[in-house]
Amino acid sequence: MTKLKKKTAIKLEQISKEYTLKHQKPTLVGTLFRLESREKFQALKDISFEIFKGEKVGIIGPNGSGKTTILKLIAGIATPTTGEISTKGRVVSLIELEAGFHPELTGEENIYLNGLIVGMTRAEIDKKYQKIIKFSGLKKFIDSPLYTYSSGMSLRLGFSIAVHSDPDILLLDEAIAVGDEEFRKKSLEKINEFFKQGRTIVSVSHWLDYLRTNCTRIIWVENGKVIKDGGVWVIDSYKKIAS
Amino acid sequence: MKKWKSWVDFTLALTSREIKGRYKHVALGFLWLVANPLLQMVVIGLVLQFFPGIRTENYFLFLFLGLLPWNFFSISFSKAVSLFVDERHLIKKAIFPRESLILSLVLSNLFHLLVGFLLVFPFSLTSINFITLVGSMIWIFVFTTGISLFFSSLNVKFRDMSFFVRAIIPIWFYVTPIIYSIQAIPEKIQILLFLNPLTAIIHFFRVSFGVQESVITETGFLLSALVTAAVTCLGVLVFRREQKYFDDWM
Repeated sequence: MTKLKKKTAIKLEQISKEYTLKHQKPTLVGTLFRLESREKFQALKDISFEIFKGEKVGIIGPNGSGKTTILKLIAGIATPTTGEISTKGRVVSLIELEAGFHPELTGEENIYLNGLIVGMTRAEIDKKYQKIIKFSGLKKFIDSPLYTYSSGMSLRLGFSIAVHSDPDILLLDEAIAVGDEEFRKKSLEKINEFFKQGRTIVSVSHWLDYLRTNCTRIIWVENGKVIKDGGVWVIDSYKKIAS
Repeated sequence: MKKWKSWVDFTLALTSREIKGRYKHVALGFLWLVANPLLQMVVIGLVLQFFPGIRTENYFLFLFLGLLPWNFFSISFSKAVSLFVDERHLIKKAIFPRESLILSLVLSNLFHLLVGFLLVFPFSLTSINFITLVGSMIWIFVFTTGISLFFSSLNVKFRDMSFFVRAIIPIWFYVTPIIYSIQAIPEKIQILLFLNPLTAIIHFFRVSFGVQESVITETGFLLSALVTAAVTCLGVLVFRREQKYFDDWM
């Protein structure tokens, strides 16, 4: 054990998350007349763990085990039913980054809009504007409205904005690399750079080999509970059960 | 302090997204926003010519000053009620101040309202009373935002709220003195009209341009102000309680 004082980046304390199962659109009429079933579903059951600054954590588990829910809670998009969660610094998630784009606005205007959505300030975007365009490789198209972009192009722009937002905590969900072969390589390199920079990274993936080479800690989640939490060896015991 | 600034930046960026996105590639874009109330004014004004009891002096101006704020309110409100659900792809993916969505929608419409009033300036009967004009602008902004927050927050959990709101809006038009004057209503009932803050707001818009004498009673004014405060507080409270769980219901 090292004697270094570790700083907490993310802390989950006895987190439970309950969802109401919906079979159709929820309505007031349906609720008043009890036409709708309101079954509950426990996505997470009393989970606690702490992630320290600079740790690279991979979360594994079968589909529907609660992995994405954990990411959503860390990002602050969802709120736990019970328990406390705290994070330190700017949290940015690399999931469907083009969600905030407006088709009628130009690439440039969308950079500003999306930059603000991921939590950058105007001054910060001004400073990184050229870098963002350069990395995305869309210089020629930056004055065109976004509806003229292909889906690969908007993905690239979205990714470029997110990685330049200088996050303290980076959340990766499944789609680790985006776009064509060339950009995929570039984005993997960029993420690897983050891995080396001492930022905290939490990734959810079924790509176990990727997690094995890039993470220092693996948390195995199943049925809303933490099964195992430890080094990369967790992947091996997970594989044993799965096969 | 810094947080405040980025909140304002973000809300304004969304507002300009709304405004720009709507008119960017439409030829004569800004004409469209006046064309609608103008057409309404002409049609209603001409039809009501045959019903002499309803028309007031300077009827076209009177009508236009009622239709402008009404359109602002009804367009904002009917679009806002389903806004959180419509923007679910954003809400599910990113964390940002959710109230900015509603605020930017109402602000972008407020911008249109302002443009509309600029067009009325040359037609004003007296010198324009900027105190009541600015006051009414703020008032209608607060009320529209408050009621929008309330129903849009509930609409996430109860999707039939949007049907309810869209059914109520055409009815609301008739209980607001837009095509008729408050004075045409029996005095005993007049006070009831002030339960609807739009009655007072539209009244003050008209007063600003000298179209109507100020006949509002103290009770009427207080009633409208009180309803506005109550609705707005309720809207903010419900929004604050519900917004944490928006993602669960998307």
